[in-house]
Formats: sequence, C-alpha cells, structure tokens
Amino acid sequence: MGTKAYLMVKMEMSYARDGHTDGMKELKAMPEIETVEPVSGDYDFVIAATVDAPVRVASVASEIRAKEWVKNLDVLKVEPAAPNPFLDEVCSTPGGECVRWCVQCGMCSASCPNVGKMDYSPRKIIALIRAGRRYDVLTSNSMWVCASCYLCTVRCPKDVKPTELMHALERLSFHHGLRHGATSTPAMYNAFVNSINNNGRVHELGVMSKFYLKTNPLAVLKMIPIGLKLLSRGRMPLKPRKIRGINQLKTIIEKANVLGGAQ
Amino acid sequence: MRYYSYFPGCSLEATAVAYGLSTQAITGALDMELIELEDWNCCGSTPYGSTNELESLCIAARNLALAEKTGLDLVTPCSSCYTTLNRANSQLREYPDLKGKVDECLATAGLEYKGTVKIRHLFEVIFNDTGLKTIESKVMNPLTGLRVAPYYGCQLVRPEPSFDNQQNPQSLDRLIASLGAEPVPFPLKDRCCGGSLIIPELDLALGLIHQLLESAGSNGAQCIVTVCPLCQTNLDAYQGMVNSKFGTSYNLPILFFTQLLGVALGIELQGLGLDKGVISAEKVLAPSVTMAEPAT
Repeated sequence: MGTKAYLMVKMEMSYARDGHTDGMKELKAMPEIETVEPVSGDYDFVIAATVDAPVRVASVASEIRAKEWVKNLDVLKVEPAAPNPFLDEVCSTPGGECVRWCVQCGMCSASCPNVGKMDYSPRKIIALIRAGRRYDVLTSNSMWVCASCYLCTVRCPKDVKPTELMHALERLSFHHGLRHGATSTPAMYNAFVNSINNNGRVHELGVMSKFYLKTNPLAVLKMIPIGLKLLSRGRMPLKPRKIRGINQLKTIIEKANVLGGAQ
Repeated sequence: MRYYSYFPGCSLEATAVAYGLSTQAITGALDMELIELEDWNCCGSTPYGSTNELESLCIAARNLALAEKTGLDLVTPCSSCYTTLNRANSQLREYPDLKGKVDECLATAGLEYKGTVKIRHLFEVIFNDTGLKTIESKVMNPLTGLRVAPYYGCQLVRPEPSFDNQQNPQSLDRLIASLGAEPVPFPLKDRCCGGSLIIPELDLALGLIHQLLESAGSNGAQCIVTVCPLCQTNLDAYQGMVNSKFGTSYNLPILFFTQLLGVALGIELQGLGLDKGVISAEKVLAPSVTMAEPAT
C-alpha cells in the first residue's frame, strides 16, 4: 500500500525572493510529488507526495533537502495512502495519465458544449476518478456525449487533455461491458467499427440502419425524409464499398486482437 | 506543379460527395495534383479510438504505411481524418510499447511504418502552399457582395497547435476575402456541430446546429462555408429538422470551401457538385455567376 507524506519546505533567503516559481517547478517535476502549495509564514511550500512504501519518504525528503535553495525541510505528517485501484487503472490507460495534474479549476466544464447533457461534468468526472468512484464514472453518460471538439484540451491550464481522458473512459467502460442506459452512443460506435472491420471503409447507410434497428426502430420514421433527400442527391450509396486489401486489414486487426491491450 | 498523396476519407464517397468533386475540380487551376492513396481504408475516426486503442492505431497505421511508400505529404479534406491520422502519428511516437505492437500487427500483413508521414488538411495546404496571393490572381468571378460565414469547426485547428489560432482562427476569413466575398463576423466559427453524435444524440446535436445557424444568420450571412464533411452534412441535411424543432426558418446553403473557390476561379459549375446540397445555393451564388444548369 502506498504512503502519503506532507512535507514543509523553507527556502534559503537569497532564493526566496525570485526563486519561488523555479523552486515550485523543480519540485513538481519530481514524480513522487502530487501537489506543491505555496504558503506564507515559517515555510514557503507544503508538498504532498505519494510513495510506494514509508521508507521511501526519507529518500524523497533527502532529495529535496539536497537542493541548494532549500534551507530546511520538515515532515508534517505521514499516513497510509488510501488505495485507489481505479485511479491507477485510469492512469495506466493511454490518455488517462494526466488526471493527477488536475487542479479542479473547471475550465473544461465551462468550455464543454455538451456539459448540460452530462451526468457529471468533465471536472466532476476527474474528481470522481480521484475519489475512486469507478462504477459511477464508467456507467455515466459523460464520456459518450463528448463530441471531441477539443476546446477543453486547448484551454486546460494543466495539460490534462480531458478529451483524451473521455476516450480512455469510453474504452474502459466498453472493455468491461459497462454501459449507461441513457445514451446510445456505444451502439452507434459499435456499428461504425463493424462497418470498418467488414468493408475497410464506413458505409453510412449500413451504420445508420444497424444502429436504429438495435436501439429504436421507430426512430427510422423520423429519419426517412433526410435519408431520401440524401439518396436523391447521390449522397447515400446503398451498397458498401469494400477495399481490395480487406483480407490484409482483417489480418492486422486479428493480430491486434491477439496482442490485446484493448484499452 | 505540387504533388500530394490524397486521402479522401469515407464521407467523400457518400454524404460529402460534392467535397470530393469540387476538390478534384479545382486542383488543376491551383497547380497541384492529388494522387489518391492506393486502396486506403477508413481512418477509424472517433468511434474506433473510443472502443479499442490498439486496433484503432493499427487501422490508421495501415494508411500511414501505404502513404510512407509514396514519400509525399498525405493530404485529407476531412477534418476528422486529419485529426485521427495525426493522433495516430503522435500516439505511436509517445507510446513505444503501443508502437511495438502496431509494428508487429503491420508485419503480419507485410507492412512497415517508420513514422515519417506528414498529415495535412487540404485547407491548410491551399492556404499555405498555394497562398492567397496566387488565389487572388486567379479569381475570374469575384464574389462581390456575397456575405459568407466562415465555419472552421473543431478539428481543423484543434487539438494540435497548427497554422492558425486555436480559438479564433482567421485563415478561412482571409480566403473568403481573397475571393472578393465578405466574411461576416461569426463568433461560433470554431464551435462544435455535434459531429457523429447526430445519430445517437440527435436532440443534443440539433441544439448545437441551431446555435451555429443563429450565430451565422444573425450576422447577415447568406451562406456558410465549411472545411469539414461532417459539419456540412449536419448543417445542411438537418437544417429542416432544426427549423421544425425550434420554430425557425433558416435557409442557409452550406458550401465546401472548395466549391466557393471553384465558383470564384471560374471552374465549370457542373463539376463542383453544387446540386448536391439539400439547401440550394443557386440563389445566393446567382449574382456572381450565371448558373448554366439549374440545381435540381
């Protein structure tokens, strides 16, 4: 089980005036360090660090103490870190690595065009992941209504890449067979992927028909006028187009299946 | 003459067939040749990357491996293909273990990808390589008086920092101006149309499309110009549905930037696929050109 340590650092007088930001950057670059908070008073920073065993606290402390701008360091508290396998799972999924960096500023939620439709806003999703609420996160509809507009990604001050995180959560939810009842996006994605796997290219009419049959056959009625307009303008081919190298593509996909790493 | 490898993407064979037609129609006039990538497959788009990371990288990498053999930049007119293929490229760079697995999968099919392909959006290629000065000098039908809303959508300028501002891009505005038309202020120019969520989350997407039409329409736009097949389909084909849901009466033609370019460059109109739009562009383009064949 991990250990969480809170350390307090005082800077050398000669560095304290101008070196604050550089010092903070240097501390944050250490992989064990989760947060660095500037404080006023007897100390300059309070650091929260998570290490894999209590004995490692000493090595982190001496590494910090060895920096020439550090005057002294005291340990405020050492406690067992609550295990959070879900956080570890998310962090080991490509795209989910950055959730620890989030400062909960809410810029992602404020930028999201679809936040109103989400069970939890992107900021809350990250908070829930860090609280270990696996089921709540992976059965929510939040990631499935993300349209990949990447506005949150370019605005995030901590480079958390929330869009990539949403895709990572979709893959985890998909992989573990957890689906939310209030969104049919997974069914559409499934039809889309099948279309590629069968033909090498997406056949839009095929994807749509499969999707409606699976989710809500009556909704087709609503779509008929649009379908006819596209059809009459040559924008909706009836037959899928297969690539010549479909067998080559299938070989590649089969091998990927064997190698796994599905998320 | 500049040569590029060309990745049209699946939409250009279906809902965005006009984008493909108009692209091919203007390349000659712009001194460029697009050589279609031999037997390309779907890039995977968002749905594949949201269900299986390794497989999605593999199917993108097949295209990249094929493109690498040509030694040319890979150009795509589709913003989603552009983002997806670029994402695959950067994932393969950033995750060596995934790259190792992808290499192994490609090897079973006798393919190899070293990671050298540069993926570019058709709009960026025309904007940077051809350049506005050249375009301006080739305009035969200045689109004087035509008020156009420049719609960039999301994935042309995001997520990777590229050639234009990521939240307030200007390049398409400038292209429109170079054709003699007037780019209208369009505050939502880089906002989402809903993309493929139009199928599973119809109401959500209709709300977004409504906001976009409202933003363009209230600023006096006579038409909207886009660089993305999904944006065009959503705003064009679903405009009627927006009107009945929100009690509005928008009738804004949604053109691809290649179509607008083609009209201004004096390219034969039949080749531009102008008759493919659900909302006809005939009326708004009429002052600039005499439409030889009425759009049906």
